[in-house]
Amino acid sequence: MSGPNEDNNTQLSSHIFGDLLDSIIVDVASECHRIAKLGLDRNLEEEEEEMRLSAQARARVADPSNSSETNTKYVVDIFGQTHPSVATEIFECMNCGRSIAAGRFAPHLEKCMGKGRKARLKVTRSSTAAQNRYSRGSPVSTYSPYSNSTSTNRLSNGTPSVAGEEYSNGTYEEPWNKT
Amino acid sequence: MKHSVNRPPTPDAAEDQGKEPPLQEIINVKLIESGEKERLMELLRERLIDCGWKDEMKALCRAHVKKKGRNNVTVDDLVHLITPKGRASVPDSVKAELLQRIRTFLMSAAL
Repeated sequence: MSGPNEDNNTQLSSHIFGDLLDSIIVDVASECHRIAKLGLDRNLEEEEEEMRLSAQARARVADPSNSSETNTKYVVDIFGQTHPSVATEIFECMNCGRSIAAGRFAPHLEKCMGKGRKARLKVTRSSTAAQNRYSRGSPVSTYSPYSNSTSTNRLSNGTPSVAGEEYSNGTYEEPWNKT
Repeated sequence: MKHSVNRPPTPDAAEDQGKEPPLQEIINVKLIESGEKERLMELLRERLIDCGWKDEMKALCRAHVKKKGRNNVTVDDLVHLITPKGRASVPDSVKAELLQRIRTFLMSAAL
């Protein structure tokens, strides 16, 4: 038979446990209160409002009167404007000076400035200038992309002569001029 | 000597009780000083999170906030809301584990 001490212990333990639990309850309540006041938790009212708006939007998309617009190339944005799929403004490339359409600008820069194989090799052109001179016209040589008029030039403008001009505009020290 | 000087001694708080601080006080102090109270709290918090108890309580709070409007809710409201449900819904295993730890501490506290 356990003595009174045991019962005391049990009672005490329960009491202590109750204390701990109360503290934690207050913590949780305080945290929820904070979240509610700061609006951190998406309040159910707002959620209902957003659900209503998203249902509206979905209905608009499903509306058959809209689908004809979306089927064409031009999509109407929220201001009612349409944009061509490729941007058409013309800019001048700061590297080669050519006129490039805005929508083609990034691919052009890639090739022009050095991501592409041929563009990167252009940088080393001066060191291989001698080789180029003697391998002119050779279709096999990969180090003279623009010396070969029939080479598959990867620049957006496929004219090798124009490509040649890119690097003889004075920025590179060339002992010879390309025509 | 004047009678006014011979007034009865000022009642002493301790004397009124007639006993030393209650056992509970002593234990509480020991719990805190040894750091065990903190450890027990952390353990209980973790267990309650693991078993989803905290999420249940948060859901209750959120429902209440939605009903009353978020600017009309006080911490007190939420405490009173959660306390009965919270106390009742602690899983038995969690309660047993904590009680065991506490009992162990009480024995080792060598009262």
